[in-house]
Amino acid sequence: MGIPVYLAWLSVVVFLVMIVYRFSKFNSMPLHLRWELYPLPLEPKHHYGGSYMEELDYVPKPRHHIRINGILDMASEVFLLKKVKEYNIYGMWPFSFSMHWGIYLLFVWIALMLVEKIFGFDAIVPVTNICGGVALIVGAFGSLGLLLKRISNSELASYTLPVDYFNLLFMLSIFTTGIIAWITDPYFFDKARAFIAGVLSFQPAQVSSSWLVAHFTLFELFLIYMPFSKMFHYIAKYFTIDKVFWDDILNLKGSSVDKKITSQLSGKLTWSAPHIVNGKNWVEQVGIIDGRDV
Amino acid sequence: MPKPSVAIKDISRPGDQPLVFMNMHELMPVPNLGEEPPIEPTPQKFIDKYEMSLDGHCSIGIPKPKTKEEEDHLVRRFLSGLEKLFNSEESWTFKQALRLSFDYCVKCQTCSEACHAYLASGRQEIYRPTYRSEILRRIWKKYFTPEGKLLGRFVGADVDVNWQTVTRLAELGHRCTLCRRCAQRCPMAVDNALIARELRKLFSQELGIAPLEILEKGCVQHLRVGSSTGMNPPGLKDTVAFMEEDIGDRIGKKIKIPVDKKGADILLIHNAGEFLSWPENPEAFAILFEAAGISWTLSSEPVAYDAVNYGLWNDDVELARVAARHTLAAKKLGCKKVMIGECGHATKAYVVIADRVLTGDLSSSEIQRESCLPLLWEIIRSGAIKFDPSRNNFPVTLHDPCNMVRAMGIVKPQRLALKAIAPQFREMTPNGVYNYCCGGGSGYAIIQSFNFPQWRNKVGARMKMHQTLQAFKNELDPNKVPFKYLCAPCSNCKGTIRDSITHYGLWDKYNLNYGGLVELMVNAMVDIDRPFIEYEDFH
Repeated sequence: MGIPVYLAWLSVVVFLVMIVYRFSKFNSMPLHLRWELYPLPLEPKHHYGGSYMEELDYVPKPRHHIRINGILDMASEVFLLKKVKEYNIYGMWPFSFSMHWGIYLLFVWIALMLVEKIFGFDAIVPVTNICGGVALIVGAFGSLGLLLKRISNSELASYTLPVDYFNLLFMLSIFTTGIIAWITDPYFFDKARAFIAGVLSFQPAQVSSSWLVAHFTLFELFLIYMPFSKMFHYIAKYFTIDKVFWDDILNLKGSSVDKKITSQLSGKLTWSAPHIVNGKNWVEQVGIIDGRDV
Repeated sequence: MPKPSVAIKDISRPGDQPLVFMNMHELMPVPNLGEEPPIEPTPQKFIDKYEMSLDGHCSIGIPKPKTKEEEDHLVRRFLSGLEKLFNSEESWTFKQALRLSFDYCVKCQTCSEACHAYLASGRQEIYRPTYRSEILRRIWKKYFTPEGKLLGRFVGADVDVNWQTVTRLAELGHRCTLCRRCAQRCPMAVDNALIARELRKLFSQELGIAPLEILEKGCVQHLRVGSSTGMNPPGLKDTVAFMEEDIGDRIGKKIKIPVDKKGADILLIHNAGEFLSWPENPEAFAILFEAAGISWTLSSEPVAYDAVNYGLWNDDVELARVAARHTLAAKKLGCKKVMIGECGHATKAYVVIADRVLTGDLSSSEIQRESCLPLLWEIIRSGAIKFDPSRNNFPVTLHDPCNMVRAMGIVKPQRLALKAIAPQFREMTPNGVYNYCCGGGSGYAIIQSFNFPQWRNKVGARMKMHQTLQAFKNELDPNKVPFKYLCAPCSNCKGTIRDSITHYGLWDKYNLNYGGLVELMVNAMVDIDRPFIEYEDFH
């Protein structure tokens, strides 16, 4: 039992460090050109897809974002998978929705067990147990469903890579080991608590269920693996949505956008097409009519 | 479901055999379209000389390499360009957005059903929004990532780059109109249209490969001569003189079109294609602005009398060169604002995309940049001009140009204007930010080379024709309803719509015509005693 306990701490550390590292990597990329897409939920005219550019003389007028609309929109994607439900014709939504909620509830289950232990909130024990049980069932249903869907539908299968199947199998293994541990051991939830308590105290608990150990070990490995995989989209999505599709910030002289872009324009280009002059920066390139004249 | 007929790895398949053939019976059915021209087979003279092995159509005309050196050159430069797309100096313009779209697609294919080209083609695999993205992604993994080199096929590093891959990808980059409807539906906010755009950029900026009309006769000619149409400054002055005379003939009043008027509030820049193909459109602007007492001018400065900016579709450097010259011309004249006429891509390129290219004294706070649509609605709303809607008493529907609507959120002004001046206005479905592309987006409207117009008419514009016929489905009979008007406030959309109405014979069958918004406005002006729209003329 010692290895899963120490692995738990390692996995949490790797998970958090990698989130911060990868977040900062994305965040430090150059400011891109505007590429917003409507309807833009932060816009006051979001209900019909409008923008401030519908106004005459909009530059000097005040512009504002309604942040709560953005949060609600993003939440509807994260928690309800709204677009998959509305537009996916391959019937992926019930499985995708279940798998995502399986993962969310797995985190919630562990968080509740931590709360119970740290604050001694025994009153929430039934809720914690239900949360854990539901997480395992819906997570297994969702990941198995998605796996079968991707195997059986040729349009999906053509685009699904071995690593994608691996990811789904990985998640399925976490949920199914949990379910097996649960149905084979009447004290499953108590032993899970004992495991969490052991992690907190750095004192490995003596848990007799090897399925439970397998379950937690797989989950810990998953935490380590997730930030390196495509499943990191839970963070990347913040950038694709908030920093690309919703970024309608106007460039005004002397603004932070203006300063960033001005500095980026000093970068040199080495594109090889004849109309571009190799080695000149952006400002110099703009002054040239055609690279073939230089 | 049957296995898709074309696999990802087929992009590298040797030989001249196209990956797909377009068949009439597979195209999306369009009610009321009637008999349509058959699909012409690919001419042998093209097959012999050019790369046609994607779908038997061709927008660029890449000559087949004759030697191993030429083949290797294509491959080497392609890979070098792909690497540059992810370099912070070479491609800061879209690096972050591209990286995110590249790395986090979960391939749920939710986007496919949003794509007009995919649907209109009868769901041909190669037009699926994820098809080209996945190819590019797998190439990137294979040639540029440690996990690809280490784990190979397991992570999808399994597409070989040979010269056929490169030339097919160049064409495949031109089977997406960049309308971004797919991005709107993506649960991950992955943008396959951006990937297509960046793929084109790779070809334009690294290999100098692009459709003739977009690069050499587009941006390069625009910068060299003054306009992508080939019109030089004296040509513009002749055109203005012609338009002044034409206005006199059309409305019985003389109007002086201001050119290079120092200190005018607004520098108005039209897509110069309007001057040649639809001069009534810039004429209508002149009539409206004169009647509304607006202080405005055209510029005769090279580049600044043509609003087009084809770099939007494939080339950041050309985009920046054109946008800077538009702004410098406004500065020279002392104008407060630059307004783009009825042209979607030019409006987005200048108002939105160039916003982060034009810095300091050229930024928005120094010289404002706007679409014309809010001002057109303001002219009606304010009562500056009196309109009689009964003069437009025929069925009118509206096409939303993707660049101004989905990409800029300009949704209401054109609708409010139409509701005020066209009593039989009705929406097409879907509309607004959820509209379908006209089929000519991203330059397809102007690509007339090889057999590309056939692809545009049969696949690109098919959905728009379907929507239009649906909007008029109860009034198609020309004996009962002699005139219908598809309002498209965008030059490139109009070009596509003109060609597709002609292709399908919809003017002859149904008297279905098209045009901009300003023509309808002038047609309804109380102060003008005759119709501005020529009801018997289709051009």
